[in-house]
Amino acid sequence: MLTLRGITKRFGENVAVDDVTLELRGGEIVAIVGENGAGKTTLMRIAAGELAPDAGTITADDAIGFVHQHFLLVSDFTIAENLALQRAWSFASLRTLEDEAERIIAATGIDLHGPSRRVEELSVGEKSKLELIKAIAKKPRVLILDEPTSVLTPAESEELFAVMRRVASEGTAVVFISHKLPEVLAIADRIVVMRRGRIVLETKSMTADELANAMVDAPLPTSVAPAKNILAIVGVAGNGQSQLAERFRDEHPDAGLIPEDRTRDGIIAEMSIAENLALRSKTNADALIKLFSIKATSAKQKAGSLSGGNQQKVILARELSRKPGRILAAEPTRGLDIEATAFVHAQLRAAADAGASILLITSDLDEAFALADEIQVIYRGRLSERMPPAVAREKVGALMAGLP
Amino acid sequence: MIDVILHALPIAIVASTPLLLAVEGELVVQRSGIINLGIEGMMLTAAMTAVLAQQATKSVLAGFAGGVLGALFVAAIFGLFAIRYRADQIVTGTAINLLALGLTGFVYKAAGGLIFSASPVREVAQYAVVLFAWIAVPIALALLLWMTRFGLRLRASGENPDAVRHAQRYRWSALAIEALLIGMGGAYLSLALSSGFAENMTAGRGFIALSIVIFGRWKVRGAIVGTALFGVAAALQYTLQAMNIGLPFHLLLAVPYVVTLLILCGIAGRVRAPEALGRRD
Amino acid sequence: MKAVAAAIAAILLLSLSALAFGRSPVELLNILVTGSVGSRFAIEGTLLKSVPLLLTGLSVALAFRAGVWNIGGEGQFIVGAIVAIVASRYGVIASLAAAMLAGAVWASIATAMRLWRNAPEVLTTILLNFTAIHLLGWCVNGPLQERGAQYPQTDVAAVALPQAGDVHAGILIAVAASVAAWFLLYRTAEGLRLRATGFNARAAKWAGIDVDRQLVRAMAISGALAGLAGGIELLGVTHRLFERFAAGYGYSGIAVALLAQLHPLATIASAIFFGALATGAGELQRTADISSNVAIFGQAVVILVLILFGSWRARD
Repeated sequence: MLTLRGITKRFGENVAVDDVTLELRGGEIVAIVGENGAGKTTLMRIAAGELAPDAGTITADDAIGFVHQHFLLVSDFTIAENLALQRAWSFASLRTLEDEAERIIAATGIDLHGPSRRVEELSVGEKSKLELIKAIAKKPRVLILDEPTSVLTPAESEELFAVMRRVASEGTAVVFISHKLPEVLAIADRIVVMRRGRIVLETKSMTADELANAMVDAPLPTSVAPAKNILAIVGVAGNGQSQLAERFRDEHPDAGLIPEDRTRDGIIAEMSIAENLALRSKTNADALIKLFSIKATSAKQKAGSLSGGNQQKVILARELSRKPGRILAAEPTRGLDIEATAFVHAQLRAAADAGASILLITSDLDEAFALADEIQVIYRGRLSERMPPAVAREKVGALMAGLP
Repeated sequence: MIDVILHALPIAIVASTPLLLAVEGELVVQRSGIINLGIEGMMLTAAMTAVLAQQATKSVLAGFAGGVLGALFVAAIFGLFAIRYRADQIVTGTAINLLALGLTGFVYKAAGGLIFSASPVREVAQYAVVLFAWIAVPIALALLLWMTRFGLRLRASGENPDAVRHAQRYRWSALAIEALLIGMGGAYLSLALSSGFAENMTAGRGFIALSIVIFGRWKVRGAIVGTALFGVAAALQYTLQAMNIGLPFHLLLAVPYVVTLLILCGIAGRVRAPEALGRRD
Repeated sequence: MKAVAAAIAAILLLSLSALAFGRSPVELLNILVTGSVGSRFAIEGTLLKSVPLLLTGLSVALAFRAGVWNIGGEGQFIVGAIVAIVASRYGVIASLAAAMLAGAVWASIATAMRLWRNAPEVLTTILLNFTAIHLLGWCVNGPLQERGAQYPQTDVAAVALPQAGDVHAGILIAVAASVAAWFLLYRTAEGLRLRATGFNARAAKWAGIDVDRQLVRAMAISGALAGLAGGIELLGVTHRLFERFAAGYGYSGIAVALLAQLHPLATIASAIFFGALATGAGELQRTADISSNVAIFGQAVVILVLILFGSWRARD
């Protein structure tokens, strides 16, 4: 159905995809796994025709459906209007569009009601379904899903898998990108492991440990006891975490603030590292760079040219060196490799041990359980009661899905 | 008081027709995600090219066409920078206004400072434009933007351009529609409402139009109400003058701008602009 | 230096456009140059024009660097001058201080509307310009009109800036302001925070910066600079107020600021460039009967060329 041969793609000096050859066949569910930055999304965007490769060939049947990780929806429009965007018609009333929408949704077999509802009113799970419907409605021969379960509850994930199996049984080649090993093992017919832009393993069966080890260079760290003073707010992304974080920030501007989107909100890309570090108060930039092991050519280097992990270090340096009594850390290790993640966790622990109270907002349950001594779940902007980790472990799945 | 307002209403409607056309045009453009600060310059240019065209051909129709062509010329430059080169829209719009100001001022002086229209516009034609602006265009825009696929995609370009293929095309189309409307507005200003072109004759109508678009919350209904409101308030300055009460002449001239500032005060927090408005992508 | 290339390109384009009007580009360029720097008279004229441009340029540069669209330089200039002439009986320093205060207040009207009513300052500052112009019209035709009530202008101001030939002390004040602005932006913590706010207001908030306060401050300083420009132009050049006093200095400040890439020290050179352009354009009008509007046209071309090169943003 779709064959990629010798695909290579560079972004500046970074080789995102390195001479990859992959064949996707109808009726098969393929999982592409790997750590952040392994090249999975880039490869699939090339397969879908969104990006042009620097080298290599693609042979594909026509219709390819792509379900993006970041929704391409118009929040102000209704479900029906969003579906109408890519169809062929000229003139129609809203009512007609809604009837059409119901027809389309029914044909895909996915459960999404109320086509007159505006997208901004939908839950994250429903938005995800809408993206899926958009992709399937075109009756693609190849269906690519990028991290489809990252914003779904376990129950919603099961629904998705059922759809994926059905679509595959109808002859479509289904590909999904994921870094969640359990679901990959559960649903995939074939597993492709990528690391640093290359395919390192392609297999039809393996165990969880084998898979995990294939994905990373170093063995995973063993778990450590949780720190005191750390409250973790967990939940599927899009349930009000950002608003919660902003409220905290506005109430406590002097707290140590580590925002969710480090590149956009954490550092000022156009300013140097030294200037970024000095935003709060006068600092010795060189000393901080050394203390936090920030990899840079000099303090004058523009912060925007640093890697994600180093940008996070700059933010940590600026915020934590002031020894604030309160700290907010929102998704502090998102997109970071194992080494950087360990560094961040160590810093947070150290701050907590020194007496700071930390509010950790994260969608990574492992991180939450590793660090926090109290856990709350957020769903549709509402917080659950605080629970110790042991209790949370049982309840978290249901709470994240909005069940009491 | 009521009858003073009612008395002012027809004058207001006629006098603010160019303004309404500008509001309608900018509404379409902003719905597609672009802020065109340069409509002041666009209208000024149209006012001049309309007069030049009418003088050359002795035809009012040609005058209006000339106005549209002038506006299209300015729109093309703006679009080149703001859409094609994705430049900052505020800075581009400001440059366009300066460009138009310099150009029209230059031509005006070069023509010896006198550009009168060749013949007055017939009343029937005047009313046609008024009806066009206040009735035909609103209906057409409402249908176009909310009941056609073109309109849906145009609006989507202003909310989430990534969800639309070729969002640029819709933005260019929006600019063209705006140029058409503003071209007519500028022509009406110089040919019908005045006896020709005068330096800087738009006197800030473009910026007032921008304010009304916001006040009307980017809806057609809001455009009509906002413009009518403004028109009445501004027309009151003349009525009050005629009644010999109120402010001295020069301060009365400031009334339209103060009214607009007050209008902008009326939007507090209720404003929900198209998501992608002004973004340089 | 892309900015320099932009300036040169703009002048060339301007000269070429002479062809459209049946004139020789070389002739036009010649007159522009001799009219602006070709004689002592010309140079003095250029310097005189550069002073208000430097201040309005600084005004715009500072505001833009904070991320605020202050297009109200024209109105702030006028209001500054109005207050300056009223306060001129108390001496030069009082008069100029009052001018700065007036400019700051006028700008702060727009700030208040933005903070309390979400009104975009790009529009409110422009509307305030028009308002100020008519305020001036009222003043010179009414309460501030000269004693003889013959022309729409005020009496001569009670004091004047010290002069050396035709050049007045305002030039020193303007340069001092430029250095002060540079120091503020690049050598103080608050200046760092102002620049941060201009680059990325969201990230500034996450670094604990009170973005609203930065806004208020930037607009106030910006308005004060434009007001000062008006006061200096009054006390140094025109000595009285009349309609059309501002003559576009406020708007010209935008081009000055952009060519200088929003850098306070570079604004000095940029102001001289546009001052020369304006003076040369005046000569064009006198000798070749080409409207001095070419200066405005020239500003627009410079801005557009800068946009094309992507060279107007601050690049520290």
